[in-house]
Order: sequence, then C-alpha cells, then structure tokens
Amino acid sequence: MPFALPFDMTSLDLLMAIAAAATVLLYLFGTARLGGYLATLLHGAALAVTVAMGLDLAAGAGAIPSSLRLTVLGQQLAWTLDGLGWFFLLLTTGAAFFSSWYMAGEWGRVQQRARIQHGTLALNVLTMVLLLSAGDLLGLFIGWEFVSWAAFAMMIQAGGPATQAAYRYMLYALAGAMALFAAILVVHGAAGGFGFDQMRAALPDMSTGMLWTLFALFAGGFGVKMALVPTHLWQAPAYSYTPGASSAFLNAVSARMGLFALILSLVKLIGFDTLAGLRIPMTGIESTDILAWVAAITMVVPTYIALMQTDARMLLTWHGIGQGGYMLLGILVATPLGVAGGLLHVFNYATYQMALILAVFAVIHRTGTADLDELGGLITRMPLTYVALLMGIIGLAGLPPMNGFVSKWMIYKALIVTQQPLLSIAAFVGTLGTILSVYKLIHNIFLGQLRVEHREIREAPWSMTLPMLVLAGIGFVTGFAPGLALSIVDQAQAAMGVALLPHHLGGVVLATGSLNMLWVVGVLVGAIGVGALIFYVLGNRRFETHQYDNYAGGHFLSADIRYHFSHEFYPGLARVIGPWYRGWVVRMEHGLGVLAEVSGDLWHGVFRAAYTPLYVLIVAVLGLFWAGGAGGFGS
Amino acid sequence: MTLLADLILMPLVAFVVGLLLVLMARRVRAKIERRVGPPFLQPVYDIVKLYAKKTQVSHGVMHDLAIMMLLGGFITAEIFLPVPGLDGLAEHGDLITLVYIMMVPMLGLALGVGSCANPNGSIGISRALTAMLAYDVPYVVVIVGACISYGTTNLIDIVQIQQQGGPATWGAATMPILAFAGLLATHGMLGKEPFEIYIAPAEIATGPMTEMSGKYMGALFVMQCFQLYTVGVLYTTMFLGGGENWLFFLPKVFAVIFISVAVTNVYGRYKTDDVIRWMWKWPTGIALVGLALVMVR
Amino acid sequence: MTLTAHHVVLPVALPLLVAFLLPLVGRLSDGLARLLAQLTTLAVAVIALLLWPAASDGGALVSAMGGFAAPIGIVFYADKLALMFVVALAVGLLLFRPRREHDSTKVQTLWLLLLAGGSGLVLSGDLFNIFVFYEITAVATYGLGASAHTGAGYGASLRYLLLSALGSAFALLGIALVYAAAGTLNLADLSQLAGERLTGPMGLTAFVLMVLGFGVKAELFPVNTWVPEVYTAAPTRVTAVLAGVVSKLAMVVILRLLVLLFQDPAALGFLLLLGAIGVAAGELAAFRSRDLHRTFAYSSIAQLGLMAVAFSIPGHAGVLAGIAVALHHLVVKPAFFVLADRWRGEIAGLTGAGRTSPLAAGLFVLLSLSIIGIPPLPGFWAKLMLFKAAIDAGGAGNLTAVAIILAATVIEAAYLFRVVGILYGTAPAGRPPLRFTLGELAPGLLLGAVLIAATVSVAPLGDGLTAMAADSADAAAYASRVLPGGN
Repeated sequence: MPFALPFDMTSLDLLMAIAAAATVLLYLFGTARLGGYLATLLHGAALAVTVAMGLDLAAGAGAIPSSLRLTVLGQQLAWTLDGLGWFFLLLTTGAAFFSSWYMAGEWGRVQQRARIQHGTLALNVLTMVLLLSAGDLLGLFIGWEFVSWAAFAMMIQAGGPATQAAYRYMLYALAGAMALFAAILVVHGAAGGFGFDQMRAALPDMSTGMLWTLFALFAGGFGVKMALVPTHLWQAPAYSYTPGASSAFLNAVSARMGLFALILSLVKLIGFDTLAGLRIPMTGIESTDILAWVAAITMVVPTYIALMQTDARMLLTWHGIGQGGYMLLGILVATPLGVAGGLLHVFNYATYQMALILAVFAVIHRTGTADLDELGGLITRMPLTYVALLMGIIGLAGLPPMNGFVSKWMIYKALIVTQQPLLSIAAFVGTLGTILSVYKLIHNIFLGQLRVEHREIREAPWSMTLPMLVLAGIGFVTGFAPGLALSIVDQAQAAMGVALLPHHLGGVVLATGSLNMLWVVGVLVGAIGVGALIFYVLGNRRFETHQYDNYAGGHFLSADIRYHFSHEFYPGLARVIGPWYRGWVVRMEHGLGVLAEVSGDLWHGVFRAAYTPLYVLIVAVLGLFWAGGAGGFGS
Repeated sequence: MTLLADLILMPLVAFVVGLLLVLMARRVRAKIERRVGPPFLQPVYDIVKLYAKKTQVSHGVMHDLAIMMLLGGFITAEIFLPVPGLDGLAEHGDLITLVYIMMVPMLGLALGVGSCANPNGSIGISRALTAMLAYDVPYVVVIVGACISYGTTNLIDIVQIQQQGGPATWGAATMPILAFAGLLATHGMLGKEPFEIYIAPAEIATGPMTEMSGKYMGALFVMQCFQLYTVGVLYTTMFLGGGENWLFFLPKVFAVIFISVAVTNVYGRYKTDDVIRWMWKWPTGIALVGLALVMVR
Repeated sequence: MTLTAHHVVLPVALPLLVAFLLPLVGRLSDGLARLLAQLTTLAVAVIALLLWPAASDGGALVSAMGGFAAPIGIVFYADKLALMFVVALAVGLLLFRPRREHDSTKVQTLWLLLLAGGSGLVLSGDLFNIFVFYEITAVATYGLGASAHTGAGYGASLRYLLLSALGSAFALLGIALVYAAAGTLNLADLSQLAGERLTGPMGLTAFVLMVLGFGVKAELFPVNTWVPEVYTAAPTRVTAVLAGVVSKLAMVVILRLLVLLFQDPAALGFLLLLGAIGVAAGELAAFRSRDLHRTFAYSSIAQLGLMAVAFSIPGHAGVLAGIAVALHHLVVKPAFFVLADRWRGEIAGLTGAGRTSPLAAGLFVLLSLSIIGIPPLPGFWAKLMLFKAAIDAGGAGNLTAVAIILAATVIEAAYLFRVVGILYGTAPAGRPPLRFTLGELAPGLLLGAVLIAATVSVAPLGDGLTAMAADSADAAAYASRVLPGGN
C-alpha cells in the first residue's frame, strides 16, 4: 500500500471493510437517487485498493495478510491474498466497478428493485474477496459456499424463468460444494488438518487411489462452477435471466471462481508433477489429459449449442461456457506459454464478454427483447452499442486486433508446441463455430432491416454506453499491447509456481514463431487506413440509400413487408449438425431427477405402509440374527 | 528502409499477381467453353470501370467501413506472408496469425453485406460462413499437422526447412496426404464450383454482391485478386517449398490456382449441406490420416 | 438460592405432582389450571438452570432416591447434557404452550406428563426408571397426538400406539436381558460390568432390542413409520415439541446406552447402519412429499439419522457432533413447523405466499440454509463436526455414511429450495393471501433469532459443547460420580 492505513489495517482489511460496507449501504440505499453512483464510488474504491495491492505485490510483497482471524472448534481461520488470488480479485473488483457504473444511471432508475441488484452485487464481491484470500481448505470451502449462495441470490431476484434457472444452478452448485466438502474431508483424514501446508506435507504419503479421489473431487466440485461438460446445463439460463449488469458480472467473473479454485487445488496444492504421475494403469493417460479432454469438449460442444440459440443472452452465455474450456485447457498445458495463455484469456474474456453482455442488455433496455428473430437494423439507431458489440464479438471470436486473439493464439501455440494435435484442432474448431455464431448475433440485432416499431428508438444513455465502450477499449488496448495484461498475469503465474513467460509490450518472442501485436495491429490499422484512402479518393462520391430502396429477387422491398433473414440463420449447417444435438446430457439430468423421484416414492411408500409392526418385527428378527452373527453365536 | 519497401511492395506485388491470376482463371474458362477469352488488361479495365461509375450507392457507414476492412485485411495479410526476397513482418506474426488475419476481410465483408439490409445478401453471408466452417475444419487439421511436422509456426522457417533438400524436403513430399487434403480445402476456400454456394447467382441473386455496385463491387474485385494470390501463395509456402526466387515461385502459385480453376468448370453446384458433408468427410478424413502419419513419424 | 443434588428430582417430581392435581384445579378454573401448569413448566426450567452451576462444578449432580446409595437405590444423574435437555424441553413446552381455545386442562395435564416423563428420561441413572419414564412420555404423546380431535389424528395416534407398544415390549425385553446378564439395572454399575457381562450375542441382542424400542421415539429407522402421520395430524404445537425436543431425549438415552454399556464396534455399526438408512430414507421421502408437514416430518427423520450416525462414532468427537446436530435441529425444526402451521396443504398451493409474508419467507430461507449446512450458520458447523469425527474415525462404514449424507444434502436443498421458489413465485389472482399474525410467527422468529445468535457466538458455543461432550462421553467419570468410593 503506497499510503499508511490507520489501526494497523492491511490493504486486504481495507478491501474487506469496503466490500462489507458496500453490501450494507447499497442494500439500504441502493434505490436512492444517488445510490447507483454511491455503488460506483464504492466499487471504484475497491478497485483502487486492488490496484494498489497489485503494486505492492509487484514490488515483492509476497502475500497480503488480513487481520481477520477466527478460531472455531479448534479450527483456525485466516485470510491471505497472494498473486493468484489478486489476479482474480482484480477482475472481480473491475467487473463490479463497470457493472455498478452501468447500473448507476437510467438503468437503476427503471428497475423495480435496484437496491437488491446493487446489494447482491456488493455481496458477491465481498464473498469473492473471502474466497480468493482463503488461507486454508476450510476457509476455501466456506468462501466457496458464500460465493455460490451470493450468486444464487443475484440470480433469483428477477423472478419468472430466473427462479427455475437459479434453482437448477443451486442444485448443481451444491452438488459441487458437496464434492468439495468430501475432498477437504479426505485431506483432513490424511493430513490431520485443513491447512494448505498440512495438505502439501501429506501428499507424498497419499496412496494413488486417494490422489485420484482428490483429483476427481476437486475437478468435479470446481468444474461444476465452470460448467465443464457434463455439468454445464445450468449456466446459460442462470446467467441469462439475471438482469443487466449483474449478468455481465456473473459472466465475467463468477464462473472464473471455479477456475481459481481449480488452479489453487490442482496446481498450487497438488501440483503438476504429482498430477502427471497419476496415470490410468496400462494406458499412460494422465489425470490432466482427462481434464484437458473435458475442457476440449467444453470448448466445442457448448459453442455449437450457442450457435443454435435464438436469444442473444443465451447465445453469449453458452459461449461463456465454451471460453472457460479454453482457459482451463491453456493452463493444463502446464508450460509457461500455455498457463500464461489460459490466464490471459481469463482477463481478456472478462473485458469482451462484459462489453457484449452489457451491449445486449442495452438493446433489451431499449427494445424490450433479446430475441434474435425479433430485432434487426439497429445499427442506425444505436451506433455506439453497435461499436461495443462489434469489438466484443471480434474479441470473442478471437480475431485480430482484439485481445481475444492474443490469448487464444497462445493457447493454440502451446498446444501445437507440445504436440497435442487433436486438442489444438478442437481449439480451432471451437473458434470457427464462434465466428459463425457471433456474426449471427450482430447481424440479427444490428444489421439487416430495421423493424417498424424500432424506428424511433434512441441510443442507450451514456451511463450505459460508456462502461461498455471503455471495456471494449480495454479489449483493444490489451490486444494492441498484450504486454500490459501479461504483466498482470505474471503475478498469478508466479504465485502458481509456474515459470514466467518472457514477454514484451507487443507479445512474445518464441523460437517456434513469435507474435508482436504492435506490428499486427499497427499494420492492420494502417492498412485499413489505406483502404479508406482508396475508398474516399478513388471513384465518385457515395450517396446513402434507404433500406427500402433495396432490390431483392426481382422486386422492391417495401416498407410494409420486412425482409430480414434472421430466423434459422444457418439452415444448411443446421441440417447437417442438427441431428447431432441429441441432448444426452439433458436426458441424463432428467434421469437423475426421475431417479430421485422414484426412490423418494419408494421410501414414501415404506412410510405409508399399513403393516408397520409386521415389518418392524421382521427387522427386529433380522437384527437379532445379525447380533447373533456379529456377537459370535455362529462361531 | 527495407521494411518500408516490404510494406509497400508486398501488397502491390500481390495485387498485380492477383490480377494475372484472375486473368488466367477467365482465360482457362474461356478455353474450356471454346471462347476467345478476355484481353490481357481486362481485369484492370473492369476495376477502372467499376470505380469510375457515376452512382456509388452506399448502405451506410458500416457498408463503407466494410470495404476498408476488406482491403485493409488483405493488405495486412500480404505483409505477413513471406515471398521470395520479401519477408515483410513474417517474424512478428506466424502462420496462425496469418490465418486469423485472413478472416478479418471475411468479417468485414460479412458486416458490410449485412448492413445492406438485403435478405439475399444475408443469405449469401450465411452460406459463406457455413462454407468457411466446412472447408476450415480440414484446413486446420492440415495446418496443425504441418506445424507439428515442421516444429514451428514461423512461415520463414517453414520455407527454409523445405528448401534444405530440394523437392524431396517439400511438404508435398514429406507429407503428401496432408498436402492433398490441403489442396481440397484450398479449392473450397476459393469458393469455386462445386462449392460456390454463397454466390449462387440463380438462387440468391449473387448473394453478398447483391447490393454491391460501383467502387464497392470494384473493391470486391480487388479482394478476389488478393484472395487468389494469398491462397495460392500460402499453399505454396506450406507444401511446395516456397521459392528461392520469383522465377520458381510464381509458376508454383499459378499451378495451385490452375488446378482449382481447371477443375471447377466441369462441376455444378452442391447444396449447402452437401458442401459440409463432403468437406467433413473426404478432406477432413484424408487430413486426419495425414496427421496420424505425421504424429507416428 | 443454591440448589444441591437433592433437588435433581424436582424437574421430574414437580410436574408429575402438578399433573395429578391439575384435573382437580381445572374443575375450579381452566385459567388457573393453565397458569399453574405453565408456572410449573417455568419452574422446571428455572430449577434446571439453577442446578447448572453445581453440575458444571462437579461434573454432575447425583441423587439417590430414598437415601439408598447406588447400586441399590434409584439414582438420578444430572450432568450438563441432561440439564440442557431438561431446559430445552421446558422452554419448548412453554414456547408452544396450549392456548385458551384448546381443550385446556386435559392438554395441560398431558403437557406436564410429557415434561415429567421427558425430564425423567434424561435424568434417570437406571434402566428400569428410564423405561418407566419412557412409557409416561409415550402415553402423553398418544394423547397429544390425537388432541386435534380429527379422524386422521385418532388414526395416526392409534397406529403410533401399536408401534410404540411393540417398541416398548422390545425395550423391556432388552432390559430384561441386561438384567439377566448383569444382575443390575443401574447404569453406573452396568458400565463397570459391561466389559465382561454385556459383550457377545447376549449384549448385542439386548442392545438391538433396546435401540429398536427407544428408537420409536427417537424416530430411528425402521420404527419411525408413525412420524409423518402423527406429525401431520397432530396440532402443530405438539408436533413442534415432539419433533424438536422429545425425539432428542430418546436419542440421549441411546447415547447413554452406547457410552456406558455398549462400546462394542458391532453395536456402533448397527446404529450407524440405522442412522445412514434413516438419512437417505428421510431425505428421499421428503423430496417426494407434497405438503410441508410431511416434508418436515421426513426431514426430521433424516436429522435424527444424522444424530445416530454421530453417536455411532466412538469417542467424544462423535458425541460432540451428535449433540451439536441435536441442538441445531432442536432450534430449527420447531420453527419450521411454526411456518407449516399456516402454510398447510399442497406445497404447490403456496405460490406467492412469500410475497405476502416476507418475514416468514425470509425465516424459511434462513432455516433452510442452516439445515442444509451452509456456512456460517450453525447447521454447517454441526455437519462439519460430524464429518470430521467420521473421517478421523475412518473405516468404510463411516466414509460411506459421509458420502450418503453429502448426497442427501443435495436432495435436502432440492426440496427446501423448491419450496422457496414457489414461495417467491407470482400468486394466482383472486386467492386470499396467507398471512401470519405476529403472534403466530413469534415462536419461529424467536428461534430464528436464537439461530443467528448462535451463528455469531459459534466459537464460545463450540468450546462449551466440547467440554460437555467430553464429559458425556466419559464412562469412567459417570461411574465414579454415581458410585463414590466404589472400585
């Protein structure tokens, strides 16, 4: 901290205090006239503290402790923030800042319960601070539950379909949490405590079976939050039906908590070396290979599900699941390049996905719908939102000049260099699907013909357009100069115990092919300038025509008939891959529900049986036989 | 200074060679149809004519911007694509970067056509993107296989590796199956019959071009020149050993395009879904076999 | 005022005496009878609290009735555990005391009998007395179960009576076996003889019989089939007390049996099995049930299953976990039943009920979160202690039980939050809103406040409970206190 704090507070204490105060204040005053700006101010302060912490960490502070300490039932609970936690914390406070900014003006005024939105946002930040700075496994579990339930509170507020989505989320999250609970209990059983150091010390003595169990429980428990296939069904509806900036926040950071915890448990605690030693007998398949393939499937399948969506929010949230796969895959490559790529993708994804979600909600705010079949031509009415969305989709699709390209490049590259062709192909194929899908998104909303009822629509207010433009701008700047973001990533990578990736402002220099985005973006911008020069200098002056002057298939498009090709945008593709969508995960989920119902019915029936005394007698007789057997009557 | 020369020369060379490639394509077609064919400067005349048109109909700022993105994207691609004597910026962006830069003009075109608000244009883009998904799946398999085989993604290094031992070290010789699959995908990439689903004149009124006229159409024409050049050079670079000098280099590029152009005229047009099925069955299957061989080796 | 060991009998004797007097007083005035009954209940709570300091000083207060020392005399043994449950019972009975409109005097009499029986159950130091008090409790429960005067109530009570009678027969048989084997029924005495006389098939048989017998009240699988019916048909006040407090008293008896008489792995395994099945069965059946009363009844079965699992873990960690689960359930479940009282009928019919009574819905969410075991609520710490104890004890059985409980937790959340979703749904138009009066909700709110207070003070509470559990799990201490100067 560059300045002294009173009462021997550490900067982490200060951050916790701000987050706690924000939760209470915003829940009370979030609806007030200036409540929204108070939220922006508080989250801005939290962001500032986070940045200051980053400076401390970069100066070699190691880890930032908190003065908060609890001893419950012999369990010491303490909180400390290291570089890894800080990296995710920066995303959290940053996302909260932009979300609250977006909600501060007109958005907050038209919402029925703005204070709930503000309050739950602040609550999420607070719980995430506690999770990210957890000092032991018990603290991690508690933080995990906090984060899960805070997200639940955020999701359920909208009512309607959100209730069902949030309920589904809660069940998945709780199942994941129980897996985590089991994992920390396994550790406790082996190590005699919940401490990170205790766990590390006990690792060498653990049997292979126990390590596999731990691996499966951690990966499963945290994977649910990341919506790794086959636990992915909950995420898209849950994030989509959450209103506005809250949805953007959830999209940007909530699922990333799963990644953080996965890195913490698998990389920081168990370690790549131990994981590499875990092989399926006779096959040589390592534990991380399994997870990498899960990540690859998560990359591809949800992306192609996104392609089929007709709701803009669902489309983006399904992509969010797919993007999570890239991050995990990058980290599992376990080389400095792969890890840096995965972490950088976390950062990049947060910037463009927030811009995208915010833009889509700006459209919803003005038009009242996110149905991709019901929009079109809005580019003339909402040009700023269009720009934000355009930059966002370029990032999401991973094309230059936006930052999404850089991190994806690093991931492809890491996979190719480590000679994993099938995983690389999966990564490329995921990106191809993304390009198709995001074009559909921007086309169906902004391009094509404007609907009659949207002719008078105004651009979203500045309070909403500015945050998303700034986010898109960050996406561009860190695409132009990825070194800026890579320096942030370094903090996390160092804390993970992975060697740092040497980089410069423009990218990385590698023997097997380098990337310098300063040149790529510089030339691209320059060349587009040349294109503009050619366009404006050569040829006659352009004149702009109206959409109804178009000539389609031999007849003029008139004002009373709208010709906008949007429904089923890729019919040919749908005909080929449509039959592949078998929904087997959906059916699996349904099957589990049925199983619970049927076994519930069974027990319900047992409790309703009229001959209770009879079977009590039977049980008693059986019990007596057992007692005799156990006690040695037989022997 | 050499860099500045590269920056100016590479797109210019590409444009000129591209014009020649277009000319070749049209001459070949004429020969097959037993026509005389266009004169030598016809491509230039066409561009001049389009730019000189009196009415230049624009469909809004995005339409104009698309034209700039289109040209800008290809100019950038040329600068990152090394040719004999001109390395450009290939050290600062590798094969993967190039592949994604090549998608920028595609995206620009798509956005521009979309903003024309003509359903035929949108259908054309929908089909174009579908076709891209179709041919890029085998293409990425080929690229991944080639990169792993060469051990680098740096295009300059890839050329050098192939030139070490003459044609025996060309990609086409060391991994013939991948090279063959690459050729099939390249053909799809050029959007010629039987894969020209997105132009499809009789079906969707030339799709993306429906609302393009004047210099907008001219820009599309220029784009075609660049596209033929880029695709041809990229294939040559990956599998035909690039070229020590232009004398050896250009024939290879023309040969690649010639194969495609010669084949295309005898085909009709596939349906959209058939394009996907074919591309995902044959080139992809062959490419995967090639990849397996690369991995085994 | 300082109370001594001689006053330990008061919590049993006083309500018993007043219960016999009450019908007479009731002839004079219903109001007076009610007042008297409630004052007695209050007095029991106060006495138990006053006994507390002395109990915590010496570990326990031991009173031999009639001056005969153990093992001949009838012994009352009041350690902190027992006193705590006496207080809980008295407070519960006060909190859910019958109101004027109820069939006052008769119900009050049963109420006092329940108090006397329940207190006796935890305070007795002698198997036969435990059986007697168990019967008193049971008789009071039959009456209370039917006190709603509905057909369903009578039916449920009758079936409960049949089952309970069978259970009592089992228990008596078990006690007889113990007597046959050891020649004494004094727990302290037995604890010293257990090692040689109660091992083997004879002891185990006695244990199985007694667990099945006392398990009827403790809602143990499989003798808990009466639970959903009675809890649904009985007045909610009765249900709250039965589910909240009385079931735990029987569990305490089983704990005493385990700690003092049957530290046999086979016996512990038997209880673990019953507990684990109870957890799974309870949660699954609750998942299936369609009205709140039944849901909570099944959930109660599962919670007592948890206690059984906890008590089956040897050592004081298990006892601690069991007590923590018991206390938590003791606070949460009555509050749940308070809510169920107004929200009767099909759960699906409650759509939007949370919007008309936000306080009640908020309480429901709080209680649900705690019973699922979400930190930092007390339910989490209780479960954590249980799991820690199970894991540290190790063994395939314990690990399986942990896995079952973890899976059951998800089911638990599924049905509880299904209700939450319905509560916050949009109510169909034209239906009269279900509103709570503050008076109706007050006991629930009070318990909710206790829950929050416990959350805040979880650290000192944990320390206190740890001491209590360590003491309760110490068989040698028990024996030495009851048999002073004995071997």
